[in-house]
Amino acid sequence: MAIAVFFVAAAVAVLGAVGVVSFHQPIRSVLSLVLVMLALSVIFLLLSAQFIFAVQIIIYAGAVMVLFVFVIALLGPARELGRGRLRYQGWLSGIFVLVMLGLMWTLLQGVQYRQPDKTDMNFFGTVQSIAIGLFTTYLYPFELTSIILLVAAIGAIYLSRKRIDDL
Amino acid sequence: MGTLDIGGSQLDASWFLLLAAVLFSLGAAGVLVRRNPLVILICIELMLNAANLSLVAFSRQLQNMEGQLFALMSMTVAAAEAVVGLAILVDIFRTRDAEDVDDLSGLRG
Repeated sequence: MAIAVFFVAAAVAVLGAVGVVSFHQPIRSVLSLVLVMLALSVIFLLLSAQFIFAVQIIIYAGAVMVLFVFVIALLGPARELGRGRLRYQGWLSGIFVLVMLGLMWTLLQGVQYRQPDKTDMNFFGTVQSIAIGLFTTYLYPFELTSIILLVAAIGAIYLSRKRIDDL
Repeated sequence: MGTLDIGGSQLDASWFLLLAAVLFSLGAAGVLVRRNPLVILICIELMLNAANLSLVAFSRQLQNMEGQLFALMSMTVAAAEAVVGLAILVDIFRTRDAEDVDDLSGLRG
């Protein structure tokens, strides 16, 4: 059962990723990415990461993707020109990506897994276990993320302000 | 050690890692091939998601929560990156008439 769920979700994710790269209209790429994220959230659930599953749907498929859709609505449909200034760009990037994928494949063949920790699997991945890690051992990085978000918010406000000469 | 027991079925951890590798490669291909800056940002999000998948897969294999905590942190950073990237993009498209990334070569010197 879990194997079938994994292969269906993986197939949906890969097809969605192909769609992200190959669709010509940006809105279709965004919707394909939402598909990829939903498929990945199913896989997170398979890996018993319940909290990451919820966050993936709410934050990623919800908030971040709505932001992309808003920007597309703001900018209007953008056309992509046929070819760029760099010659053989498609072929070169195709070769590069295939070489990179082959490298990762060979690395995965020889990967040595460590003996897993003895954890209670009824407790693994729950909101409780995430919170214990986040508010005890990793409290400092967790507080630092608030600064990252604050800086990002200030930067976005600064970049989208009305210029004096626009008035 | 690499096999995961999920609901009674035996799945290999390397399947998840291979899926992450394929998704990352597709995202990298998109960044290299596409010319629309918005689509390039979308492909970067795809690559970040693939990295998250491998983090969560290793977390499940080691039965250690730290991988999931790191995935949570990288989601935060990805959200911040998307916000700033989109703000820069909107600013660029508002001030100049740019069609694709080839028109945005002002920093090349």
